[in-house]
Amino acid sequence: MKELSLNLLDVAENSVKAGATLTELLLTEEQNRLTMVIRDDGCGMSAETVAKVIDPFYTTRTTRKVGLGVPFLKMEAEQTGGSLTVSSTEASADPICHGTTLTAVFYTDHVDFTPLGDVISTVTTLIQGHPDTDFLFLHTTAKGEVRLATCGVRSLLGEDVCLGEYEVIKWIEAYLKEQYGDLQGI
Amino acid sequence: MTVEALLQHGFQAVTLPEGNREIDGAYIGDLLSWVMGRATADNAWITIMSNVNVVAVASLADVSCVILCEGVVLPEDVKATAEQKNVNVLTTEMPAYQAAVRLSQLI
Repeated sequence: MKELSLNLLDVAENSVKAGATLTELLLTEEQNRLTMVIRDDGCGMSAETVAKVIDPFYTTRTTRKVGLGVPFLKMEAEQTGGSLTVSSTEASADPICHGTTLTAVFYTDHVDFTPLGDVISTVTTLIQGHPDTDFLFLHTTAKGEVRLATCGVRSLLGEDVCLGEYEVIKWIEAYLKEQYGDLQGI
Repeated sequence: MTVEALLQHGFQAVTLPEGNREIDGAYIGDLLSWVMGRATADNAWITIMSNVNVVAVASLADVSCVILCEGVVLPEDVKATAEQKNVNVLTTEMPAYQAAVRLSQLI
């Protein structure tokens, strides 16, 4: 994909589909390395399924025969000299602490590094599409961090307000933009 | 023209499980997600990418064949997947532009 933010959206959608109540999207930049972690507390996968998710011919969809979200992301990580790993614990194996963690490492100074792109849209699209589940977005850079936790927004607005409402989404968008603006101003 | 007919014109077979498929045009691209939405069925897809995702995209877009240009080599395991998924793969020493010009003269 032309932007990593689209991969991020694609993989996070899998987390929601896996029944996650909280999906964490963590971007950490250290020197020339970007680490992307997508962690959820969803139903998890068997070791066999984990091995298959990097196979483009594996998909949970029934409408088509290939699933390319994770394979594309793995390719994009590897073509910068980085890597992608997936670990998972099934709910049947551990009823309390289960879910899936995907970790992708990119070397941002490699010419084939795919730009991060519009992560704000990724976050707002996820919240708008799934207003009843929680997301934690945290982008850490050398200059500081950008953070949004929907549980915080939820408790601030009260139970009666749906996070998917236009005004809420617009506010979240502005809030993230402001934080990114502050980082650039430093 | 058919995919196997290309073998007479500077293209070599890597695997041709459905060599009798017709080619009705070509698409050139290396960004797989982009190709996925734009290459159309029965196109020959010209690329320098050679990982297993190429087979998946070729299968999804239902292209008549993948043409690996500039002498790019397909790893053995990817070749096996292509065979299994009925994806035709050819290779050529020509760069993408020349491969496309040659194709355009032929079809």
